[in-house]
Amino acid sequence: MPNEIIEGILEAIRLIFTFDPEVWGVIEVSFRVSLTSTFLAALVALPIGSFIGLRKFKGKNEITNLINTFMGFPPVVMGLLIYLLLSRNGPFGELGLLYSTSAMIIAQFLLAIPIIMGTAKAAIESVDPILKETVLSLGANERQLWWELIKHSKKSIIAGFLVAFGQAISEVGAVIIVGGNIRWETRTFTTSIVLQTRMGEFGMAIALGVILISITFIVNYGLTRLQARVD
Amino acid sequence: MNLLEIRNIHKEYYKGDKSAIIVLSNINFSVKKGECFIIIGPNGSGKTTLLKLIGLLELPTFGQILYNNKNLINISRKEKVNYRRKFSFVRQKPVVRNTSVFNNIAYGLKVRGMRSIDYQEEVNEIIQFSGLKGMEKKNARSLSGGEMQRVAIAMNFVISPELYLLDEVSANLDSMNLKLLDDFIMRIKQDKEKTIIMSTHDPLEAIKYADRIAVLNNGQITQIGRPNEIFTAPKDEFTALFVGYENILYGLAELDKATGLSQIKINDLIITAASQQEGEVKVCIRPESIGIAKEPPKNTSYRNTFKGFIENIRELGNICHLIVRCQSEKFLITITELSRKNLKLEIDSEVFINFKATDVKIL
Repeated sequence: MPNEIIEGILEAIRLIFTFDPEVWGVIEVSFRVSLTSTFLAALVALPIGSFIGLRKFKGKNEITNLINTFMGFPPVVMGLLIYLLLSRNGPFGELGLLYSTSAMIIAQFLLAIPIIMGTAKAAIESVDPILKETVLSLGANERQLWWELIKHSKKSIIAGFLVAFGQAISEVGAVIIVGGNIRWETRTFTTSIVLQTRMGEFGMAIALGVILISITFIVNYGLTRLQARVD
Repeated sequence: MNLLEIRNIHKEYYKGDKSAIIVLSNINFSVKKGECFIIIGPNGSGKTTLLKLIGLLELPTFGQILYNNKNLINISRKEKVNYRRKFSFVRQKPVVRNTSVFNNIAYGLKVRGMRSIDYQEEVNEIIQFSGLKGMEKKNARSLSGGEMQRVAIAMNFVISPELYLLDEVSANLDSMNLKLLDDFIMRIKQDKEKTIIMSTHDPLEAIKYADRIAVLNNGQITQIGRPNEIFTAPKDEFTALFVGYENILYGLAELDKATGLSQIKINDLIITAASQQEGEVKVCIRPESIGIAKEPPKNTSYRNTFKGFIENIRELGNICHLIVRCQSEKFLITITELSRKNLKLEIDSEVFINFKATDVKIL
């Protein structure tokens, strides 16, 4: 077994530096799907989540509970639901999106929304209430207050993006169901590792795992640096 | 006409177990334009909550807040912002935004839609006045507590609101910052268009600035009146204990070049004070600093000696309060019951009161 790990790491280095087209294809699909879904989810979830955090209204506790529940929503179940919706006999079957990166983006988008929404809401709520009052008493309207609080809690909000992206890139259950693990098209790191392991190609599987971890590390490192810079 | 009218304000908070804590109850008062109205009370009496309600930062459980005869409860969010922009709210422990001193001070003008080139001059003027020159570009969060308080005061004063709400702003300030705050408050008081509602737990500060004082205890206003009423005729024991007794007289001070001391003319009395102030002043003398005798004192170091008669005596156990009238003015004097008996002081006794020039506090 240790031999296989070492072989896997050597294989990983070889695959990356020989620009193996299949590996680079997998990297490209993985990142395209996860970045797109996280970005789109942020566009939707950040305004809504921060708005929920900003205001007090009836039913806020229930909405909070709902968001928290969906934060831990099982990806496989999400994959199943999207599958049923997009399959030929499903309500959106005519769109023909099943087994495409679009389907994968939809699934990961829906999984990322509660994470970003929940963290944005918590970030806004955790701002010192005296700062909120100070900003209001200086004459800010709701939109100006909102912007001020976003600026103030950007670190926590970026942390939310990181968690959502981390979940998306390492997720396997949903993308394998709705993407179908089609070579050159919808194969990602994770689905590929599942396949290679099943076929006994441990070297390739470990290689992909190492690449996945390294790239995720680099992305996180970059975002963390950004997080430190914004302060 | 009243600028602000508080009608039957009641505020309670609910704890986790749904039981209510009453913070304010049955609050009624009104404030006129140009007035300096001071709310005085101990910590936890509800001063901050009351100011927050007026500043539209919280809602009362019930009651009305009328500003220029318009009820501010249940107005739309937009209207609320418009009214908040007529007010400012300076708090005891300031919070500044995580940006430069200049941007912090300019914020109130910026959110009102002013353009950067239009407010440069105003902001720079207030920076100069606040002694923050040279710190404009520093992050306000990196300043010391006192400097931060100066920024907080400056950012509220630059917007020049109609109504200033000052919540224990002088607490925790060193003498230099107190002086600055004093300059600011005096500057506002001169402008008769500006109104101040201020809370404090310092009775002397209240005497200094107040046109009227409200005493807040345990969420209820126990007394409202001019400073001398509150201090010389406290309605209840709490007020008496809290404010302490103080003789407050209003007069005109003139500097006596020969002695270097102020001569304060109060109707027919002239009081000498160890101060160099001139013009209209408030004179404070603590009752225990005043001595009393039946004979005119011979050869004493007291600069102030007046003849009068005892108008009233209040016995309070071991000590007693004497009200002594000297011509137009009344003085409150505390002595021990024993010395009163020894001196055989009764109502209508003719007496001589005396106090040192250094015991006269000028505000």
